[in-house]
Amino acid sequence: MKWDHPRIWLWVAAAIVVINGFFPAVWILLTSFKTEGELTRIPITWLPDNPTFQNYVQAFTNAPIMRYFLNSLIVAGGATLLCVFVSALAAYALARLRIPNKTLIFSLLVGVSMFPTVTLLLPLFEMVLALGLRNNYIALILPHAALSIPVATLVLVSFFQGIPKDLESAAMVDGCSRLGALWRIVVPLSAPGVFTASILAFVNSWDEFLLALTLMPSQAMRTLPVGIQFLQGEYSFPWPLISAALVIALVPVALVIAIFQERVVGGLTQGGVKG
Amino acid sequence: MIQPQSRIRRSLGDLSERALAFWLLVPAALLLGLVALYPVGRLLYTSLFRRRLTDETGNSPVFVGLDNFVQAFSDERFWTALWNTLLIVLVTVPGALVVGLGLALLANLPFRVKWPVRLGLLLPWALPLVFAGLIFRWFFDSQYGVINDVIVRLGGERLLWVTTPELLFWAICLSIIWKSSSFVALILLAGLQVIPRELYESAAVDGANRWQSFWRITLPLLLPAILVAAIFRTITAFQTFDIPFAMQNGGSSFETLAMYVRTMSIENLNFGYGSALAVLMFLISFVVTLVYLRYVRGADD
Repeated sequence: MKWDHPRIWLWVAAAIVVINGFFPAVWILLTSFKTEGELTRIPITWLPDNPTFQNYVQAFTNAPIMRYFLNSLIVAGGATLLCVFVSALAAYALARLRIPNKTLIFSLLVGVSMFPTVTLLLPLFEMVLALGLRNNYIALILPHAALSIPVATLVLVSFFQGIPKDLESAAMVDGCSRLGALWRIVVPLSAPGVFTASILAFVNSWDEFLLALTLMPSQAMRTLPVGIQFLQGEYSFPWPLISAALVIALVPVALVIAIFQERVVGGLTQGGVKG
Repeated sequence: MIQPQSRIRRSLGDLSERALAFWLLVPAALLLGLVALYPVGRLLYTSLFRRRLTDETGNSPVFVGLDNFVQAFSDERFWTALWNTLLIVLVTVPGALVVGLGLALLANLPFRVKWPVRLGLLLPWALPLVFAGLIFRWFFDSQYGVINDVIVRLGGERLLWVTTPELLFWAICLSIIWKSSSFVALILLAGLQVIPRELYESAAVDGANRWQSFWRITLPLLLPAILVAAIFRTITAFQTFDIPFAMQNGGSSFETLAMYVRTMSIENLNFGYGSALAVLMFLISFVVTLVYLRYVRGADD
């Protein structure tokens, strides 16, 4: 059979996947330019009548979106650095060194990654209260870093395995210590892997809601998911403001994903399927 | 820059391989121990006590043995939450698999430009669950939602999605299926791409049509990936929290097990009973994980 699908069907197929994936994002983008009045009109409009930047002005001035943004950035950035550093060390050991019970270690890693977060919530909450760390960045950075260790380690192991051992041996013959060889040869060569692991860890932390809601609940310490969820009032649903805030929150992640999509897909399927 | 590196080399450079491996694994083990293993132990311990921060047992827990578990088994709200969670699993796992398989098959077509389709699969994955919940809450809004708008344009009646319990359930399920099917599609797409094209070509030579080669080649060869995706989805669907939480603005007219565990522990500050509920949830998900590990190990051999 020749793979000469008529072009029209290719377009239809692409359109289905693209519309399915983009529709919600495009819809909130359109909504973020509408006025409150336009949003509460029936029948609803699809394209904004009088596009306005008012919602963005409001999001930046009235609601502490930038503060939430900063909190998310600090938490996700800190968690990513810690997670990838710790995972890179472990992954090197798992990929390169003789370790007894390696299979057991891998099973433990995958097992831990499947712990329901909500079951860890109460003990973490108690620890954080006991240490007086509630509403402290550390209280969220540590668990976020830990929760991404399994996926980051699995991704890094497969990258380390792809680097020829000879390079390292050569460096060690030339007088490098094993750690020196790790630092000078393996780390630079596995930069793409480190990068992939970083993106996965970053997105995991950026998206996390349950722990952030419980461990950093004060208004000033909310991350974006928590802060934006609380823009909903008890009886009001200020959707123009929420959609502007959503756009602000999504743009950085969407950009990273768009630029590095191949790496992200590779990392996801490696970390996921290989287990 | 040179100073610290040479110091590291001096102190760690001549370690034996085994000792080096040990020290490289320690940081990850410590962090996971602190955030995952210790909490599970602590949970088991607390579940045996009556401990509420709202009364004197907050400071002096009373040992009650398995009383908290006995209480759970006669707690109607626990059974409702468990049942709701199972319904979510039963609807959204097959739903996400079917939609994900469809998306994967479409995305696997030989497009000349691949990035729009790939991005179409990645965006839903990268969208935080809470945001998906908020957006779909708005989509399903009875007056201003786009879904009712389409229904009315097609000649149907407005549905009260958010305020009718059964419709709320389906709205939540549809949101979860949309959000999770892309991840399923990415895993299945990776599986599709390693199926050798020659298989299809020789099947075509033998006179098989597309439908037949889908059932005889694609599906059987994709089965391992489908199973992995199914188990992954089952485990995450069992933990469903963010989407129903956001869609109900923190309300709980539809409550999952994860929502009940959090309410009992953090809102009601009933640490003892909350822990027991969490232990039950942990055990169920642990069984599924064991199945997964056994399956993956079996597949590796």
